[in-house]
Amino acid sequence: MKQRPNYFAGLATFIWLLIIGVPLYALINTAIGPQDAYSQNGPLTLPTHFTLSNVTTVIQSGFLGYIWNTILVSTATVVLVLAFSIPISFAVVRGSGWITRGVFRVFLLGLAIPAQAVIIPLFLIINQLGLYDTLWGVILPTAAFSMPVSVLVISGGMREISSELYEAMALDGARPARVLTTMVIPLSRSSISTAGVFAALQAWNGFLFPLIMTQSNSTKVATLGLYNFVSTYSANIPALLAAVLMSAVPILVVYLFARRALVAGLMGAGGK
Amino acid sequence: MVSLTSARTVRAAAPSRPPLKTGRPGAGWAIPGLVFFGVFALLPMAGVVYLSLTSWDGITAPQFIGWHNWSRFLGDHQIVQSTIVTAILLLGNIAVQAPISILLGVWAAGKQRNRAVLTAIFFLPLLLSTAATSVMWRQLLDPNFGLPSKMSWLFFGDQNMLGTQAGSIVCLIAVTSWQFVPFHSLLYQGAARNVPETLYQAAALDGAGRARQFFSITLPLLRNTIVTSTTFMVVGGLTAFDVVLLLTNGGPGTDTSTLPFTMYQTAFVTYDYGYAAAVATFLLLLATGASLLLVRLTGYTKMTSTQEGL
Amino acid sequence: MNNVSRRQALAALAGGAAIMATTAACGFKSANATASSADGDVSYWTQVDPTNTVQQAAISAFNKTSKGQVTLSTIASAGYLGKVQTAMGSSAMPGLFFNWGGGSLSPYIKAGKLVELDPSLKSHFLASPLQAGIVDGKFVGVPCRGTQPVFLYYNKALFAQAGVKPPTTYSDLTSLVTVFKKRGITPFTIAGSGTSSWTELMWVEYLVDRVGGPGVFSSIAGGDWSTWKDASVLQAAQMIAELISSGAFGSNFGSVNYGAGGTSTLLADGRAAMQLMGSWDYATLAQISPSFVKNDLGYVPFPSVEGGKGDAGNVSGNPTNYISMTTAAAGTTAADFLKTVYRDDYVLGLVKDGEVPVTTNTKSLLSQSTDPAYSSFLYDLVAGAPAFTQSWDQALGSTLATPMLTEIQKLFNGQDSPQQFVSNVLAIQG
Repeated sequence: MKQRPNYFAGLATFIWLLIIGVPLYALINTAIGPQDAYSQNGPLTLPTHFTLSNVTTVIQSGFLGYIWNTILVSTATVVLVLAFSIPISFAVVRGSGWITRGVFRVFLLGLAIPAQAVIIPLFLIINQLGLYDTLWGVILPTAAFSMPVSVLVISGGMREISSELYEAMALDGARPARVLTTMVIPLSRSSISTAGVFAALQAWNGFLFPLIMTQSNSTKVATLGLYNFVSTYSANIPALLAAVLMSAVPILVVYLFARRALVAGLMGAGGK
Repeated sequence: MVSLTSARTVRAAAPSRPPLKTGRPGAGWAIPGLVFFGVFALLPMAGVVYLSLTSWDGITAPQFIGWHNWSRFLGDHQIVQSTIVTAILLLGNIAVQAPISILLGVWAAGKQRNRAVLTAIFFLPLLLSTAATSVMWRQLLDPNFGLPSKMSWLFFGDQNMLGTQAGSIVCLIAVTSWQFVPFHSLLYQGAARNVPETLYQAAALDGAGRARQFFSITLPLLRNTIVTSTTFMVVGGLTAFDVVLLLTNGGPGTDTSTLPFTMYQTAFVTYDYGYAAAVATFLLLLATGASLLLVRLTGYTKMTSTQEGL
Repeated sequence: MNNVSRRQALAALAGGAAIMATTAACGFKSANATASSADGDVSYWTQVDPTNTVQQAAISAFNKTSKGQVTLSTIASAGYLGKVQTAMGSSAMPGLFFNWGGGSLSPYIKAGKLVELDPSLKSHFLASPLQAGIVDGKFVGVPCRGTQPVFLYYNKALFAQAGVKPPTTYSDLTSLVTVFKKRGITPFTIAGSGTSSWTELMWVEYLVDRVGGPGVFSSIAGGDWSTWKDASVLQAAQMIAELISSGAFGSNFGSVNYGAGGTSTLLADGRAAMQLMGSWDYATLAQISPSFVKNDLGYVPFPSVEGGKGDAGNVSGNPTNYISMTTAAAGTTAADFLKTVYRDDYVLGLVKDGEVPVTTNTKSLLSQSTDPAYSSFLYDLVAGAPAFTQSWDQALGSTLATPMLTEIQKLFNGQDSPQQFVSNVLAIQG
């Protein structure tokens, strides 16, 4: 049965497109125009000529190296987060009583820890471990702080798998590891991807941990690199926004490619 | 759906295997993650709770002062004001973000071609860091060069958005929503895809229109996701401070100084870590309490699927 | 628990421990590179700043002839102070670091983290900027960059069109407000957002100084908080309230942020006539509109206030920025490096960058700056000032300054009346 076109949805998405689009237009607009055009006309007027000078300024500040560091940090974070969260979620969803409640509550508690509150004790711990000014000093706390979210999301996904499937595998004599790898992970692909994306974004955009845990140029990540364009009394906004765009590119590329897998995963969830 | 008959056949044919315990993960599965999390998150937090009983400037050794910080905390007028502002922003964010995310997520779950392209565009704000987004919006809200000057019909009060408490609150909610709606709609998109098509077909045959299908079928089945999403928003509202820092710096005056912002300022600007630790502990209790409440109210911990009974 | 999961649990634990151990081992190598090591290497922290290239050049030159090496780390300005504070209590603290002197250094001195500097360094610098480097009676900060006084910028073209001259007295100033308002031009541009309230502080600094003299604030900074009760403070607050109600700052300044030229552009564009700002704004204006700076930029000291006790030559602002040496700086490397900050090549590098350093050899090098007229104006302003009051927020340290700035912002925003302003500020240190 053919349905009427959804006018409400059409109008609503158009409005939302404007809301998303205008600031993004301002962002791109500023990044590709010359500095004085921005200063005089503000972010919304199209510059009279386009230039790549902001991009070159950014690259000359060593930004590509910072992006590479950020890629390393994000990849390692995602790997760590998923490696720890998947078994924990599995234990929470399918384990017996006290594990479920206890562990789940611990991570709910962890969800609420404000990073800027614990930064000082955390800094002391990282320094004691000899990890100050290394990328691991950034990776480990970032991964730890992304775990509650992952556990929440992944256990939510694993819970949707019907218990009959579990029982079927149990009766097959399957060990937990096999249950996990052959059934649970494939069926909770979408929540795992969501958790992975979230952890990647946390790592990609993290500022506080890199700020406090690193110092030299060789360990600088992109978010700190952005601040090369901001000083106490002035900010080179076009270069800054060009840098912002450049740091969004890799993750956008990943998203575009992962989206296919994400969509496939989303379609497959539910065991139909 | 996996056929139930094949499961029954297996059950009938199986010899005397050990019962349900097999195939269930034991406590050992959770230990490595717990240890990792414990060292890098729980241990520092325990440190913070201890610090709330001390007076510390970050340089010399902390001095134990017992409940002094807490009695100051309970009598602090600024804390009351900050809590109220935090609550207003939190509720405002939920009220704005939840409906938009649900609608967007459900829409994005549909299979039409153009939806994939638009969904990718809608995802873009999440790719920008909060700091970058706040800086960008700060420029966009400049009364002389930004949106208020070009689109003055949309703004009230002489385009002085950040000069009043109401205006600042609206701006903060707008900027936060702009950035985080993509994340929540991603959650809803995944959940909405899980809703079996058969339910909608049956309802359509019954004569139910789109709106009725949405409210009677989609929303109830999104229950678990609504809890997850709201939990994130509550936690986000209680820990995020960078938008406030970059957009208003708690201003005008202290009108938008949320609890996390006050905590950040006390620790990193006035270097009163002991007191800041007390505020942080309070925030932790609030957020944990809220999540536990949400979870209990909706039976989340029973770990049941929303698909049960289908 | 059955055998299978116990074995798995042990394996998982062992694996986790192995990962952690490897991690720690890998991390160990670079740990020592950060703090200053015994053979004389020193780490020098500064914030991201246009003068970084000059600093790096001086360091590279020094390293060529020195056994101990100095390494520069440039840190995001937004987190610089917090990072320094965090590191000071640990083994990662820097040997040398850039700072604003004054009250901001007190906590470190009290904790015994700073090393007193060689008094012979003092003879190479002008007297008044040195003052903020002497804290609690100890000489701990040596000037390392240009001076940044605050004065009145104005748009010469607008003044010519209106047929008026820049103000020399406060009544000149108030009549100019009327003149420009009639022409639809904002008389003074100011950034009144919560993120930039230090721009409003400058007005309070100058008015209190002109009305009550520099002794008022030096008493407060010296520890007598009750000096806020002085009549000059209330009078300054009332003058500000009058300026605001007469529209001197326009109406939407509460949303304007200073960073990225939110106010300077208005001046360069001809939408505002004057701005009370520090010398760093010159560089911002040059970036916005080189032609404005070349043709229409004018600058004068803040006018006098009739009947006020303060000398019209007094100046407020950042005397300069300083380098301090900490207990982590081993060996003589740091002390030797500090001797390079008054050398001709370093000073010349700063001059060419548009700065006006406060060394004794500056005047002779000023002719080589990009705008000699401007540089001499700055130099004469500072060298001839009977008193140079450090920006109040730097002098007081952030613990006291932050609530003070909040009250100033509320005064400008109309949330505090002048009386409320005085009583609220007094209550900060009850």
